[in-house]
Amino acid sequence: MSLNTSTVSSPSPVTNVEGRKRPSTSSRGAYEYVLLTAAALFALIAAYFVGTVIWRAVPAFREQGFGFFSNAMWNASFDPTVPSQFGSLSMIVGTLITSGIAILIAVIVGTGTALAITFLLPSRLRTIAATLIELLAAVPSVVYGVWGLIVLTPWFQYTVGPWLAGIPGFDWLFGTTAGGQCYLLAGLVLGAMILPSYVAIGREVINSVSKELIEASLSLGATQWQTLWKTVIPTARIGLFGAGTLALGRAIGETVAMSMVLGSALSTNYQLLKPGATLAGWIATQWGEAQGSSQVPALFALGVILMVVSLSMSLISNRLVARQRRAATL
Amino acid sequence: MTTLHLDNSHHIREHLRERASATIKRRQFVSRLMIALCWLAIGLAALPLGDVIINLFTHGWSSVSSWAFYSQLPAQPTLVSPDAVGGVSNAIVGSAVILGYALIGALPIGIGIGVYTAESDSRFAATLRLVVATMVGAPSILMGLFAFGLVVVQFGMGFCIMAGSFAIGTMMLPVLAASTEIAVRNVPATLREAGLALGAKKSTTSLRIVLPAAITGIVSGAILAISRAIGETAPVLLVIGGSQAFTWKAGDFGEALPFMIYQDASSSYPAQRAQAWGIALFIVIVVFFLSLTARIWANSKQKERR
Repeated sequence: MSLNTSTVSSPSPVTNVEGRKRPSTSSRGAYEYVLLTAAALFALIAAYFVGTVIWRAVPAFREQGFGFFSNAMWNASFDPTVPSQFGSLSMIVGTLITSGIAILIAVIVGTGTALAITFLLPSRLRTIAATLIELLAAVPSVVYGVWGLIVLTPWFQYTVGPWLAGIPGFDWLFGTTAGGQCYLLAGLVLGAMILPSYVAIGREVINSVSKELIEASLSLGATQWQTLWKTVIPTARIGLFGAGTLALGRAIGETVAMSMVLGSALSTNYQLLKPGATLAGWIATQWGEAQGSSQVPALFALGVILMVVSLSMSLISNRLVARQRRAATL
Repeated sequence: MTTLHLDNSHHIREHLRERASATIKRRQFVSRLMIALCWLAIGLAALPLGDVIINLFTHGWSSVSSWAFYSQLPAQPTLVSPDAVGGVSNAIVGSAVILGYALIGALPIGIGIGVYTAESDSRFAATLRLVVATMVGAPSILMGLFAFGLVVVQFGMGFCIMAGSFAIGTMMLPVLAASTEIAVRNVPATLREAGLALGAKKSTTSLRIVLPAAITGIVSGAILAISRAIGETAPVLLVIGGSQAFTWKAGDFGEALPFMIYQDASSSYPAQRAQAWGIALFIVIVVFFLSLTARIWANSKQKERR
């Protein structure tokens, strides 16, 4: 639906000409067929992509049934008389915890940063900051993984962890023993990782809020913050939500950094200073030893969960960002 | 009566003024506080990012600035010689080869899709646009699973460089398609209509007028896709197998820079961890260089056109 309206609002020039007499009889020439082939090939690849991941996961879903979602055990059995047990519960919860912490950081710190870059920095610094943020968004996630593993893990183990574990009354949240690789650290690293991409889009969205609206708000006597909070953010909210969904999608799909800073432990103890696992991270850590066993279909099944979640989220965020862009241009 | 009324209104006015100045004070206090928090947010955002960059240079510079890093094969350090980590020449070549094969496949198809979806209004094009937009956000590890299922198992090629290229190429396709579509759509309609009005065929107009005008956007998109692909770890982790040798054959086990970072970072030898930092710094420098070049080039082209 939204796609139809977008094509109507910006008609491709080709259609303008299509109705008139064609400039040449062989209008649908070799060139068009080349393009159509590329498009068809891509459609085929996309279909194969979804199909392959699901198809390889079928044995695991068939064997484990609904237990795949409600079970927290992961035992590959090499004895044919003992069935393997594969459950994704702790990976699902682990993914929710880490990406929850990350998106909280990204949205709060990121929105503040985007506002500050757009409205508070002097114009010369603004361009530099924007360029820098976009460059940082291109830093590969494995670099954040190295940083988290080598720099932050010891710091967490010996400084932050013991301090948090020592706070009375928060045992239920942090636990009583400090760990290096843990949910909290993973969430923080993930937050730092998705922050630049959230700020990059958020800045663009906030920048598109019309000057007239801001000036109207200020002329009515609103303070700077009231203008930002009651005019700029509500106007940009759909786009910001879209940026957040995009960042959340990245957080959920993050693989190597998570396997590096979260460790690889499966338990139903989700205290923040405990090691754990995420869906994507678990696929990476188990991949080597899974080869040739019944674990491979189970890991593909984790991939199916990941695919359903991330594809539907990117669908939503795309629609939201597109809607915001249309609203801004109208 | 009148005096009382006047008195009263004076009172009200005084009262209002007090209330007003109180709210203004409160509002300005809140405003200053929240603006200060926005500054704090910028600081909080800069802190980890700055720390990453500082650590990259302090730990990684010695590797990146040494010739052995580029010329030698990796070595396994031992207790006797804990600093003998060798270089990463095979991973540099491996990454380049994987990226090269991926580009050969992905560039023409990706640009083709982009031009098609930009120029066509058919239902199929609309569907493709949706698929492209959705696949841009797909986690890269899924491409690894896809390449494993299709290339490694179904085609029976086993773990190999080709599977890595396939995974990376599939990952780049939607990025290339999306950026090409935007670039082609941004070409003014008048330019295309001028071409058609001169009697040029649709394909001639597209190839000789629209594409040259859109080339900056297309190249910038390609560079963006390349810089994303260089550091991509998860997909190659699943399918290239790992190797200590120097190879460019598509069917061999391969090695890639991010894969080596992943292995080195958890090593117990400090020299190997330093090598992980070195590779990370190398990738970051390449990525920064690529994106900056693309940006500067696009800007200069833009100025040229004006």
